[in-house]
Amino acid sequence: MTARADLLQGSLDLLILKTLDLEPLHGWAVSKRIQLLSRGVLEVNQGSLYPALYRLRDRGLIESDWGESDEGRRVKVYSLTPTGRAALEREREGWRLFSAAVEAILATG
Amino acid sequence: MRWWSWVGRRVEVLLRKKAAEDELDDEIRFHLEMEIREHVRAGVEPVEARRRALVSFGGVERFKEEVRDVRGARWLDDLRQDASLAIRSFPRQPAFLLAVLLTLGIGIGGNVAMFAVFEASMFSALPFQDPDRLVMGRSTFNDGERLGPVVSGYDYFDYREQSSTLTSLGAIAPFPQRVTVRRGFEAERADAVWVSTDFFEALGVSPVAGRTFRAAEGEPGSPPVAILEQGYWQRSFGGDRSVVGGTLTLNGTSYTVIGVMPATARFVVDADVWLPIHRGESWAGSRSAHNFLLVGRLAPGVDVASAQAEVDGISNRLAAAFPESNRGKGLLLTRLRDTLVESYRSTLALLGGAVLLLLVVACANVAGLLLARGSARRGELAVRAVMGADGGRLARQLMTENAILALGAGALGLLLAAGIERGILAFVSMDRIGDLEPGLSPVAVLFAFALSLATVALFGAVPSLGAARRPPAEDLRSGGRVSSGRRAARLRGGLVVGQVAFTVVLLSVAGLLLRSLEMLRSVELGFDADDLLTAEVDLPASEYTRDARIAFYEALRDRVQTLPGVTSVALASQLPVRDPGNNWGLGIPGEMEGADGEKLLAHQRTVMPGYFEAMGIPLLRGRDVEPSDRSEELPAIVLAESAARSLFGEEDPLGRIVGVDGSNGPRPHQVVGVVGDVVLDDPYAGTPPAMYYAFHQVAPTRMRLAVHFREGSDRLAAEIRQALRALDPGVPLDGVETMTSVLSRRESAQRALAVLVGAFAVVAVLLAAVGLYGVLAYQVSRRVREVGVRMALGASASAVTGAVVRGGLALVAGGLVLGFPAALVAGRLVRASLFGIQGWDPTTFAAVGLLLCGVGALACSLPARRAARIDPTEAFRAD
Repeated sequence: MTARADLLQGSLDLLILKTLDLEPLHGWAVSKRIQLLSRGVLEVNQGSLYPALYRLRDRGLIESDWGESDEGRRVKVYSLTPTGRAALEREREGWRLFSAAVEAILATG
Repeated sequence: MRWWSWVGRRVEVLLRKKAAEDELDDEIRFHLEMEIREHVRAGVEPVEARRRALVSFGGVERFKEEVRDVRGARWLDDLRQDASLAIRSFPRQPAFLLAVLLTLGIGIGGNVAMFAVFEASMFSALPFQDPDRLVMGRSTFNDGERLGPVVSGYDYFDYREQSSTLTSLGAIAPFPQRVTVRRGFEAERADAVWVSTDFFEALGVSPVAGRTFRAAEGEPGSPPVAILEQGYWQRSFGGDRSVVGGTLTLNGTSYTVIGVMPATARFVVDADVWLPIHRGESWAGSRSAHNFLLVGRLAPGVDVASAQAEVDGISNRLAAAFPESNRGKGLLLTRLRDTLVESYRSTLALLGGAVLLLLVVACANVAGLLLARGSARRGELAVRAVMGADGGRLARQLMTENAILALGAGALGLLLAAGIERGILAFVSMDRIGDLEPGLSPVAVLFAFALSLATVALFGAVPSLGAARRPPAEDLRSGGRVSSGRRAARLRGGLVVGQVAFTVVLLSVAGLLLRSLEMLRSVELGFDADDLLTAEVDLPASEYTRDARIAFYEALRDRVQTLPGVTSVALASQLPVRDPGNNWGLGIPGEMEGADGEKLLAHQRTVMPGYFEAMGIPLLRGRDVEPSDRSEELPAIVLAESAARSLFGEEDPLGRIVGVDGSNGPRPHQVVGVVGDVVLDDPYAGTPPAMYYAFHQVAPTRMRLAVHFREGSDRLAAEIRQALRALDPGVPLDGVETMTSVLSRRESAQRALAVLVGAFAVVAVLLAAVGLYGVLAYQVSRRVREVGVRMALGASASAVTGAVVRGGLALVAGGLVLGFPAALVAGRLVRASLFGIQGWDPTTFAAVGLLLCGVGALACSLPARRAARIDPTEAFRAD
């Protein structure tokens, strides 16, 4: 249970960083974007989305600013910081190593 | 992330907690709205859409909690939760709350007040330029054996002229003289103080108008000049600048006002007018009349030790040149700041020790209360522990409660401190310089805060940690009625023993001080001080010749004598206790110094015939002074018994010749009578030697009246004033005061100390009694079943009562055993503040022991009675 949550949490951070690398988004849009890009495979548990956003912001990887939604509502918009961009590169490398390793194990026998 | 941005973020979280919450709410609402809208767009009913959105979100509050946790404000929330839990729980135990707040509040208040007094007296800035370069000069006699505060005039002039380590050396005669000031037709009384011409220069205080004295104005024959004090100038002259340069009449002599000095120029004594010391005046022009306090300013780069070395050289030269007056005499230089504190340092230290003891007793009491409460709450804490609160969290909660209690007590203490401080300042007389405003500085407030938290460490830590560390199961099994806790009980017993011991110390010191006061009051004054009204009259020398003065005072005496209610009238230049006056060297011509090389110093006063009888001073031998005592060659003198005995031993002094020191050498007088000894100054000082001149010989301008009256003579002062006005409307009656009030003023310092320490001791006794009661009451309530079993087995009520009282008195006895040795040490430490008794005064210690045993028995009696009333059947049913 805990192991899975950790795994999800780790990958969720990576996914958020990646989505924000494309363009600044508000929280709801982040969740929709992940859903869209994964072609509906990954549904973000919204209850863990905001803690993740705040955590990333606390670590200085993303920053938030007040912007406007499509309907002109005041919303908080998140964007990637330079530190975040570097972290994304690192995490992506880590993920590739990790997934390749898992793939390699699964491919045997 | 860098550490400072982390810190910054935490601080921001703290500061912007509310804003952050709002932000979070907005964001969630927006998210939910978007979600709902999407569902609706997909054709779902709005209500159902909302439900789905919320489900997919997974519980808004839980989620918010998670976000908060992430934001790192968790500990703050815990703290707030603990605090609100504590505050909510307090009103449920008002007695506990009140006891803790009051106990600690008084303890903290006393200490903060003392701290404020210390701070004000030790560290407040002296209102002088570069005050740390100022030194005080005082005479030492018998090669440093005896320290006298004042220095003689001629010695002073020599030190001033010969010293190079002191850039200036000023002198002040610290005895204000009441003078009559006339300007135009108005006359009033004012305090005049004589200072050297460079006195203000030494202090480094500049005039607010005009100038200070010039050196030439201190030489004999220079025109009389005066400087006004700013406050007096404002009060009496409306701050009129034209006064400077004008003249006013002091005691009939015309003075030119040359300047106005600020109030900060007041030094040791209050002054309305400053006059320059003239080199030639009798009281300044002598080496054997010591009248001046010296204040010097160290030259740049010179320290006290090297200045002292130079001054010692001068003293040695003076001793060689004037062996008669200066052998063994020296000048001691000490830093001004240290010297000023010297006189009341021991008093402050005593009070400081007392409040500290009180605080310790208070903390012990609160620790006892908390231990009792901790035992009672063990059930509650056990439930919380089972529900998942970890031990650290529980301990934290208890510490939070204690901290809140302590801070509450600290706040109460601050309120009390302001009052206590005012009391201390009003009671404890201090020779102070500048103004010592009562008030709590920010540092004192900080001290209160720190002290509050320190008390938590003192009283709180042990019981809280003990309570939290216990395995919960054990406490739950006992069903809330705690069976264990023997350790806590022993701890509480120990606390009571400690409390009693500290109380013994405090009470003993208070007792010693009270006994001293009693001894002081029982001092034989040597004269009849009851129903005695005193006042003073000063005639302007310019208007009253010698004969006119004699005629005036004789007429005044006769007029006052006939006033209704007056039983006797005495006139003297100085009255006992009220006007100490000066003392002068007295001896047999040719052998002025006694065998021990020290000269007899006797207080001198001039008395009207009939003075001794009117004052109730017994005439032991010879006769009173008489109107015919006017011989220029051999004036008559009356000696007090002690003076006569030290000069003549058992020989008959009548008719013998004695010499009185003067500026032109000893002046011979013939002894005509011997009278009883009288307290002349502080009752502390006993009955010093005295000598009395004849009024008709000296005819002073100023005389004091001492009028014995019958009870109910309320208007006496007004009637005396009227009698005086009939003689001369231009002469005011001054300093009207009953001898009772003079005496009470004299003992005020001793009384203040006794009252303050006594008050602290009473509080400590109460606290100790409450502590003892608490322990016993708790023991009885815990042992209901045990007592029930005993009574069922046949123990009598009195046996049960006896057991409880024995247990209680054992604690008291333990406290006494520990306390008395400490009290003996304390008695030694305070012996400087005692009068007429020793630090180990057995009466005091016996009384303290009895009092504490009595109070202890009283504290035992209630729990003992309750124990005796335990019904065995009830006791068993209690399960």
